[in-house]
Amino acid sequence: MATTKTDEDVDFKGENDEGKHPEGNLLNFEPEVPVESMLVPTDNFDSFEQEAPPDPSNLKVDSNLAECQNNDNNTVDDDKLDPDTSGASRSISELSLASEESTDHHGEEEVTNNEEWRSQEKHVFILSSAGKPIYSRHGSEDKLVTLFGVMQALVSFIGDDGDVIRSIHTQGTLFVFLIKGPIMLACVCKTRESVAQITVQLNYVYSQIVSVLTLQQLTRIYEQRRNYDLRRLLAGAERLIDHMLIALETQPALLLGAVQCLPLVPTTRDAITNIIVSSCNKIKNLVFAILVGGNQLVTLIRMKKFFLHPADLHLILNLVNSSESFKAAESWTPICLPKFDPKGFLHAHVSYLAEDCEACLLLLTVDADLFFPLSEAKQKIVEKLRRASLLQSINSALAHPGTPVSQLGVPEARHFLYKCKATAQFWGPVPAPPYQTAEGAKRLLDQYRILHHRLHAPMQPLKLLYLQDHAETMLGWVTTGFELYVAFEPLVTKTNAINAVNKILRWIKKDENGLFITNAPTF
Amino acid sequence: MAHDSPLSLKYFYIYNSSYGQKEGEEAQKILYYYPTKTDLDSQIKNVGLTEAIIKFTETFNCNQQCESLHTQKTRQLYYQPEDGFWMVLVLTVPTATKTKEGIDHLEYQSDEVQDNIYWAVLKQAYRSFQLFNGSFSNILDSEKDPTKLRYKLDHFFAKYLIKLKPQHADILDVFHGIQFLPLDKKTFLHVQTLVNLLECSFPKVRHTAFLYNDQLVWSGLEPDDMQAMYRYLITSLLPAQMETELQGGPMPRQSAAFSALHFGSRFVSGPSNLQGDDVGKIPKVYLKNDDGPVICHLVIYRALNATVCLFIDEAVSLEMDFFQRLDIFLGHRLTSLGSEIAEQFNHSVASAASAESGAKFVYFNQLNRAQKSTIHLDNRKSGNISVPVDVLRILADVNADFMERKPTTGETIVKTMNDFWVVGKLSNLREFYVVIHHKNANLIEINEEVKKLCDSQFKSIFFNE
Repeated sequence: MATTKTDEDVDFKGENDEGKHPEGNLLNFEPEVPVESMLVPTDNFDSFEQEAPPDPSNLKVDSNLAECQNNDNNTVDDDKLDPDTSGASRSISELSLASEESTDHHGEEEVTNNEEWRSQEKHVFILSSAGKPIYSRHGSEDKLVTLFGVMQALVSFIGDDGDVIRSIHTQGTLFVFLIKGPIMLACVCKTRESVAQITVQLNYVYSQIVSVLTLQQLTRIYEQRRNYDLRRLLAGAERLIDHMLIALETQPALLLGAVQCLPLVPTTRDAITNIIVSSCNKIKNLVFAILVGGNQLVTLIRMKKFFLHPADLHLILNLVNSSESFKAAESWTPICLPKFDPKGFLHAHVSYLAEDCEACLLLLTVDADLFFPLSEAKQKIVEKLRRASLLQSINSALAHPGTPVSQLGVPEARHFLYKCKATAQFWGPVPAPPYQTAEGAKRLLDQYRILHHRLHAPMQPLKLLYLQDHAETMLGWVTTGFELYVAFEPLVTKTNAINAVNKILRWIKKDENGLFITNAPTF
Repeated sequence: MAHDSPLSLKYFYIYNSSYGQKEGEEAQKILYYYPTKTDLDSQIKNVGLTEAIIKFTETFNCNQQCESLHTQKTRQLYYQPEDGFWMVLVLTVPTATKTKEGIDHLEYQSDEVQDNIYWAVLKQAYRSFQLFNGSFSNILDSEKDPTKLRYKLDHFFAKYLIKLKPQHADILDVFHGIQFLPLDKKTFLHVQTLVNLLECSFPKVRHTAFLYNDQLVWSGLEPDDMQAMYRYLITSLLPAQMETELQGGPMPRQSAAFSALHFGSRFVSGPSNLQGDDVGKIPKVYLKNDDGPVICHLVIYRALNATVCLFIDEAVSLEMDFFQRLDIFLGHRLTSLGSEIAEQFNHSVASAASAESGAKFVYFNQLNRAQKSTIHLDNRKSGNISVPVDVLRILADVNADFMERKPTTGETIVKTMNDFWVVGKLSNLREFYVVIHHKNANLIEINEEVKKLCDSQFKSIFFNE
């Protein structure tokens, strides 16, 4: 991704460091930007609008999957792209077994009258356009049939007028609806998040479903049977959705649409990357090799011309984080990455590097028959890493407790998040008091959410936002190259806040190569 | 931004679910529906949707008011001013044509419609009705059937909605503040002396309010009542008289010589001819009180841009003799006081104009509802504003954020993509917003500029740093 020069760069000619401030004349703190990034830079706002289901007739046209395959291996039968005939996908024939079941309405009042259920901070419901329950975060779907019916009725009543329901606002509760082709999602939350932010979250949940089924299968199922009970196909996926929702609530990564990298000396990271490349470059159809540890990215190698969207990487991280079974044995699992290609599956070889190394390696391919070659390659990678004592390097980086803000020499700041826009990566120090508790961390993330929402308001994005209230003073700043979100003590002066921002940027700049992956290796 | 279709009022309706609960009798729930020409089926359908939405939200929260519904094409605001009575304002979302990949498509600008503004507009509609008619349930009580209420609603809102102009609503509609006229001590005491003397000489007068042009000098009403009253006076009753005076905008006002057009004092509500027998039509107002509303006659008398509003107990019957005595008492006194204020007023306008800087501001004090603003070029709610409309929206956003988080003090500073800075300060119950256009300024410089503005405009008011 090449950066484009904008008029803003003109401001950045300041030479004198001290006394140059946010949004005044600025010294150049813009991050170093690689010519190409492995991740697609994103503002995370591309997914607001409801999408219509794709026309099945052109499902194969313009497919990333097809392109990766044709690139390197013309012998693979095109049919393999069709998830319905590919061995790893769930068979469409299961659908014919579907029969109407009777549902039990009696338990419903028990649930909706339950104070604990009513006071849950965030409900998420998924249902088909016919009103069939698919998922409920709290309380069994079977006991909420009437509620699902009411939601379906509201959506279709407003839909009949050629309009689309978006949200309902009450004094303390927000209701958000998202209609995605044959299914709809609803969120009921008391968290004071904005409609735009909840919509992004519902889109993540939707992507999680697509990731398990592919869009093609999802569309086809409902074309054949409008009344189909999707839970048959999603057995086991509830866990992924539950986990995704928790991640959305607790991890700044999903808010920022960025990933955090495991901090490593650049030469170490390059050595790891080179070992993976050299062990895999004979294997055709390998699209991505991803090494993750502690929910952070160690390295990512991609097939030339193809990029991973951060939202897809979050789906992958969610899969890894919510599946204990990967630790026990190497696995072969189909996964659809909706931003990469919603129409079909990639096949993932997933394994942890070794019993004594908690990093997880994912090798993603379009070829369903590649399990054994990938398994072999993985063995080679581990051997080489061990010989070069790189497993040790990864382990010690994983064991590092993280850098608290106090070690950065910025006493004015309590915490911050820095996102490099071009590489879709971010870094933040480990939370220190008052944010070390779960409650404190939640409040901090809420504050970041408020900043993020206002700075990225779809109709009216802002350059800078400074918010002072009784608990803290927050500063959010978006430039062409980076986004910075800082939490200060409530009574910080503006001069001190600005000095702190400059110190943070200088520190980031100094350590940029260890904190971020600034190259974009390919096979 | 150019709009293909601007924001507009689509429906406005008032219903009570306890009427017409039987199937087929749903129409009885509807007490007022605008546009009145809407066919009954659509009316019933839309009221039904509102009821369904409210019922649905109740599944998840007890006792929280449902405030709005957002759809792609509409924004619907809900307000329940009295138990069981719901008022609903439905707006069409403005649209704009955008070109994407060479293809024109219609985009709904939902973010341009701000809930806090229109919820305030809806609430104000109720307050205005209530001021002249009393509460919904009081109108019902006397007759037990809603025929009279329907009639009164129809009579009131038919006129009210024409003047609504929802496309020009902004943060000032959230505040509905009162502009006070600052006077020097001596002149202010003269006003107060007149009011006291008047109330002693005419014990039937319960409260008095004194205005000069569109600014309030003195009020004996509760702030809440005065707020509603003030709005009625300056948006409905006085504009006819003040049209010529207001053409120059709120800051540079017309000179006293110009106002002399209205030389000669007269009753604005009351008899037009003091020699005749007809005392004229005198409106009644319902003032708030702990034990039910107090109903008063509203008599308005005006001389030389000075307006005196007299609130007289309903029980008193107003005879021509009363008006004649009032005219004799007020005529001369008010004329001379009016010219005294005019002199000082022109003086202060001249000095204010010289202090004018590039910064625009809005100030509002919740305690006395005082408001001061330079974001409008006139007082006529015609969309004639001195800052870009997208920047103006940020003010309402910042206000919504303050109201939601409810801090006692707080400060918000934003810089927009087009280099406008908006500073919002909340200090106890006072709010202050400043708009500055400055590309190369930084936070500290903006802070200094706001401080300077505070010093020049609000010398004695303390704002937290």
